[in-house]
Amino acid sequence: MDFRHPFIKTPRLAITYIAFWLVLAAVLVLVVVSVGETDFLTALTDRFANVILFGFLGVAIWYVIKFSTLEDNSIGRVILAHVIAATIIVLIWLYIGTVIAKLIDPSQLEEENNYLFTGLYNGYLLYTFNVAFFYAVNYYLAFKEKTKNETKLKALVKEAELHALKSQINPHFLFNSLNSISSLTMTDPGKAQEMVINLSQLMRYSLKHDQSEKVTVQQEIDNNKLYLKIEKVRFGKKLNPVFAVEESCLKAEIPNMILQPLYENAIKYGVYEATETIDVITHCTCDNDKLVVTISNTYDKDVLSKKGEGIGLRNIRDRLQVIYGNPHLLKIQDNQNEFTVTLTIPQNL
Amino acid sequence: MTEKLRTIIVEDEELARNLMKSFLADNEAIELIAECENGFEGVKQINDLKPDLVFLDIQMPKITGFELLELLEHKPQIIFATAYDQYALKAFDYNAADYLLKPYSKDRLDEAIQKVLERIQTEGKESDVAEKVSDFPKDEYLDRVVVKDRHKIHIAPVDAVRYIESMDDYVMIYTTEGRWMKQKTMKYFENALNPKNFVRIHRSYIVKVDEIEEIQQYEKESYIVILHDKTKLKVSKTGYKNLKGVLNF
Repeated sequence: MDFRHPFIKTPRLAITYIAFWLVLAAVLVLVVVSVGETDFLTALTDRFANVILFGFLGVAIWYVIKFSTLEDNSIGRVILAHVIAATIIVLIWLYIGTVIAKLIDPSQLEEENNYLFTGLYNGYLLYTFNVAFFYAVNYYLAFKEKTKNETKLKALVKEAELHALKSQINPHFLFNSLNSISSLTMTDPGKAQEMVINLSQLMRYSLKHDQSEKVTVQQEIDNNKLYLKIEKVRFGKKLNPVFAVEESCLKAEIPNMILQPLYENAIKYGVYEATETIDVITHCTCDNDKLVVTISNTYDKDVLSKKGEGIGLRNIRDRLQVIYGNPHLLKIQDNQNEFTVTLTIPQNL
Repeated sequence: MTEKLRTIIVEDEELARNLMKSFLADNEAIELIAECENGFEGVKQINDLKPDLVFLDIQMPKITGFELLELLEHKPQIIFATAYDQYALKAFDYNAADYLLKPYSKDRLDEAIQKVLERIQTEGKESDVAEKVSDFPKDEYLDRVVVKDRHKIHIAPVDAVRYIESMDDYVMIYTTEGRWMKQKTMKYFENALNPKNFVRIHRSYIVKVDEIEEIQQYEKESYIVILHDKTKLKVSKTGYKNLKGVLNF
C-alpha cells in the first residue's frame, strides 16, 4: 500500500482541495453576512480564517481514512476512529482559532457564551465535509489504480497469448534437415554448407521474432523462400514453389512467421504424400488498406490422412484475433484436389 | 559370419537413403538388395524378395511404416529410422529390433545391426514383428484402415468402415468401398476405433453407430440392429448395454 499523501503525488488534487475550502469558506461568509448576523469584516476574519484553518488541519484526515478503511475494519471501529480524530482536530482547531482571533481583535472574545458549543458543532460539521472529500479521493485513486492495473494485465495477457501462438519451427523439420546435411557432407559438401547457412538464417529469423511483432512482406517472404529452399533439398522435384508477389506489396506489414505454418501444411499434406510434383503457389496483392496473401497447393485426393483443421491454422486464426480482433481474416478453401488459404492483413492501423 | 543379411531400405527421401547406403557400404554383415521410395513399393519388395532386415522410415507417402508392417506376409527384422521420437514406444510394441533417430551416426547404425545379428542368433531369422500387437495405444485412434487383398493395397478412411465381423483368426471389414479381410483380432479394433463412433454389439460384430437404422427386439431378451442397407446383425446382452451407453436411450 502506498502511504504517501495523495496531495504530494498529485498536485492537481491539492489545488482542488484548496479550491474546495475557499469556496466553502466564501459560501459560509456570504451566508453569515446575508443573514445579517455580523458585519462583513468580522465574518471575513472569523469565519473565513477559521474555515481555512480547518481546511489546513483537515489535510491530516486523509491518514485517518487510509488507516481505517471500510474494507478492512468494522463500521464501529471506523466511526470510533473518526470520532476520536474529529475531537482531537476540532479541539486543536478551536484552540488555534481562538489564539488567532485574539491576535486579530482581543476585544471580540467573551461576547459569545455559546462560543465553545457552536465551535464544536461547526468543527464536527467541517470534519464531516472533509471526510466525505477524502473518501471520494480515496475511491477515485483506487479506481484509477484498478483501471491502470487492468490495462497492464490486459497487455500482459495479450503478450502471453501472442507468445504462445507464435509458430515455432517444427523440431522434426530441423532433425530431418540435419539428416539431409549429414548425407550431403559425404556427397556434396558445398551444398551441405549452403544448407547449414540457410538453416541458420531461418532459425535466426524465427528466434528474433520475439522482439518485433510485425515485419515487411519482403522479410517474411524471403524467409519462407529460405524455408522452402531447405525443404526442396529434402523433397527434390516433388516440391515446386512459385511466387507471384506484386512489387508494391513488399513494404506492406505482416505479422512475422505467420506464413510458415501454411507452407508447412502444404508440404505435410501436399508434398509429403505425393509421388509427383506439387506446386506451392503464393500470390500477393495489396491496396491501401489491405494485403491479401494466397497460398495454394494441389494434393492427391486419394490420400486419406486429413484430420481436420490442424493446430497450425487454429493458431494463425487466434493470432489474427489477438492482433486485429478478427479471426475471419484467414479463409480456407478445399476443392478436393487443391487446397487454398487466403490471408487478409489490414494495413495502416 | 558366413551369410550376409539381405537388406532392404524403405525411405522416401533420397538424401536419407544415400546416407544410409554409404553407412552400410562397408558393413560386412549387410547385403543391400533393394531400395524403396514409398510404402507400397516396400510391401511389394519385402513380400517378393523376403529380406532378413528392413530399414524402415515411419512418415512416408501413401502408407506409414507401421501400416506397412501389417501388410507383410514375410516378417523380416525391422530397424526404424525416423526423425520422430514419439513413435519409439509403439515401435517397441511392434517388436522392432531397434529405433534410429535421425540424424544418427554410423556407429549407432552399426550397433543396431549388431543387435539384429544377436537376435537372429537366438531367435532365428523369421521375426514376429507386428504379430503380437493386439493392444492399440491408448488415447489414440486409427484414422484409416489399410488392407492387402492379393496384389492390391486398399486404404480406407475410418469413416468408410460400416461394420466389422470376426472370422476366426481374421476379421472382415465391410466398408462403403467393399469388404476386405485382415488378420487382426476384434479386440484390436475395439481399441483402435473411437468408441464414440463404433460400438461392439456382439462377440462377432463392431458396428459404426451412424450405420444403424433401428434396433429391433425379436425375442424376449434378444435384439438385432438393422443397418441402413437392411443388413441385420445380432446384438448380445453386453452389446445391448454398449449400445445403450453410446446412444443414450
